[in-house]
Amino acid sequence: MGRDVFQGRVLEVDLTSGRTADVPLSPGERRLYPGGLALSAFVLGRQQAGADPLGPGNNLVFAAGGLVGTNLLTASRTEVSAKSPATGLFGTANSGYYWGLELKAAGWDGLLIRGRATRPVYLWITEKGVEIRDAAGLWGLDTWRALARLRAEVGDDQAQAALIGPAGENMVRFASIQNGPYDAWARTGLGAVMGSKRLKAVAVRGHGALRPADARQFLLLSREATARVQASPFYTAFARYGTMLAASPYGAFGALPGKNFQVGQLNGWEENCTRKMVPQLSKRGIACSACPIACAHWTRVSEDLALKDLEVTPVFCLGAGLAIPDLKAVARLTAYCQQNGLDIVSAGSTVAFATELFERGILTARDIGFEPGWGSEEKAMALLESITHRRGIGDVLAEGTRLAARQIPGAWGYAMEVKGLELSIADPRGRWSTWTFGYLTNTRGGDHLRTRNPVENLRYNENPVPYRQERFGFDAGMMAGLEMGEEDRAAIFDPVTGDVDIPRMAKWSEDLIALYNSLGVCIRPPLLHTLGPELLARLWAAATGVELTAAEMLACGERAWNLQKLFNLREGETARESVFPERFYREPLPPGGQALDREAVRETLAEYYRARGWDPETGVPTEATLAELGLAEGPCRTS
Amino acid sequence: MARVLAVDPTLCVGCSLCALTCSAYHRGEFSLAGAHVTVTRDDRAGLFTIAFQSTCRRCHRCAEVCPAGALRSLPMEGVMENGA
Repeated sequence: MGRDVFQGRVLEVDLTSGRTADVPLSPGERRLYPGGLALSAFVLGRQQAGADPLGPGNNLVFAAGGLVGTNLLTASRTEVSAKSPATGLFGTANSGYYWGLELKAAGWDGLLIRGRATRPVYLWITEKGVEIRDAAGLWGLDTWRALARLRAEVGDDQAQAALIGPAGENMVRFASIQNGPYDAWARTGLGAVMGSKRLKAVAVRGHGALRPADARQFLLLSREATARVQASPFYTAFARYGTMLAASPYGAFGALPGKNFQVGQLNGWEENCTRKMVPQLSKRGIACSACPIACAHWTRVSEDLALKDLEVTPVFCLGAGLAIPDLKAVARLTAYCQQNGLDIVSAGSTVAFATELFERGILTARDIGFEPGWGSEEKAMALLESITHRRGIGDVLAEGTRLAARQIPGAWGYAMEVKGLELSIADPRGRWSTWTFGYLTNTRGGDHLRTRNPVENLRYNENPVPYRQERFGFDAGMMAGLEMGEEDRAAIFDPVTGDVDIPRMAKWSEDLIALYNSLGVCIRPPLLHTLGPELLARLWAAATGVELTAAEMLACGERAWNLQKLFNLREGETARESVFPERFYREPLPPGGQALDREAVRETLAEYYRARGWDPETGVPTEATLAELGLAEGPCRTS
Repeated sequence: MARVLAVDPTLCVGCSLCALTCSAYHRGEFSLAGAHVTVTRDDRAGLFTIAFQSTCRRCHRCAEVCPAGALRSLPMEGVMENGA
């Protein structure tokens, strides 16, 4: 093996035939698709159009980030992709911890799983190869028990596993793939894809080494990257509070997703659900591989429950969404989702949807089996259980809010989703920003993790009409510190006020985040505004020997973004789907959020399409854009 | 000045930056298996153990990159004074 930490080796496993193969990328492909999201989009893009997401023709791809396994800070993350059973589009999710490192240490960068097994199986991957093993003893177990038994079976308590719980086995359309005990590839229902393949787990352990092309140079650059991130004004606060930093500002803005996006503020939020609570519940962080930030917290909930927790996403989606402003209750609901393999965002949103339908008399206690209610952990837990096991109304809700709303008369308009994916965190009526605009542009649907202004300022909440700009407000040094080409900088930042052009920042940040998700770096704020394409290109050269300019490095992210869009278009996505739930255009959000101006949102989106080199009406990439990215031919262009 | 490595696994956050950095400095490659220091995770209990191989060269690069204070490189004198 040469000196290159990204070999472009993909292990193919066909569960129908039991055949396996080792398929390397060509040198040209390795240059265009440097791991992670870029690799998974390339590999998945080659599958036949129109596959049933829960049929054997849908492939499931795991792709470790190209720099995973090195000591570059946070380079731990792996992308998993398949056609989504929730959206019918490019389903994809990203997670850290140790799974990707073990896969690379076993000698592979990616894993492509085809077909469907005749009985429950799991994969055991080491540097010796892959075994398809009987999972009869694991099927039906929750993820915590299954992980313990799996590690005992393979005889290695450090083995990592991607695994599903009962929700994935029952093909709940928002089932997650759990990554070890607490992390997850949560969004877009990939756990249901694993369940449809009768694949309980992918366990992996490697003992090999990754050899950078220039180890000495890589260590120097890695140290430079760490120094830059540690100099960020966000670093210390993030290391202490993690994502809980966002809880207080969004409560103050009145932009919480309270009671299924009916209210933007909640009584008791500031006292009970913000970063102030972190030191009371946790004494230390827990890290993914190579991460000095350790943003997640080891949390003792009770005598019999401790877990890695205190992340803002469950606090928004379960705490605010269900009006349960109690971090211990949120932790218990989170633990349920981890053990049963449910996407916390969609699970919380679906329970909130059912609760509002009951509140409005659209569903009755007879339909549900009991009376759900805001603020009740017990009722929320009961709904989660019915969804996991597809019992009663849970069988309908397990389809996700979009499909459930089609089955329940009168429910249309209460599903808080975009393109079939439930919305996650902030309400755009309470906070209009690059972040909340991203619900419309995100290739995987209504989600908060792939479009983000790296220099977003949470001290302001002013929404300049017509929705094109967001206040900047940091010192000029932070803006100047972004590794951004001069042309982009001039287009994104107002030369006088420094205000941010939302559509252009959305495009730039999506490309950068797609690059992060390809290299395996974490998008947490202390990194996102400090590590740019120039330093990443130098790191990539030292790691692999492949020399790219900063622009070429960033284009790897843009290429991955366009490839996902091509996949979506091929599977039938139209511009009509890039809309918020109707409620956002019709109802204000108490206490202070205004209903969105439909035309202004549409114009902002058209401007975004222009910034991307896509048709401003249809959102279809132009041939010129595709040619520039090397996508004129290839995945998703022929089917 | 002679230095000593102070190890406190209760502060460890489990990032393995120590091991990744160790193997890269001493072998020119990233390998948890090839490092002179090993972090073992009991992830269900949120606990970590830190062990050193007999091959460890006491270079203390692991302590330089430890973000949690679990590994610290201390002057020998200070440690002896504290211990006295």
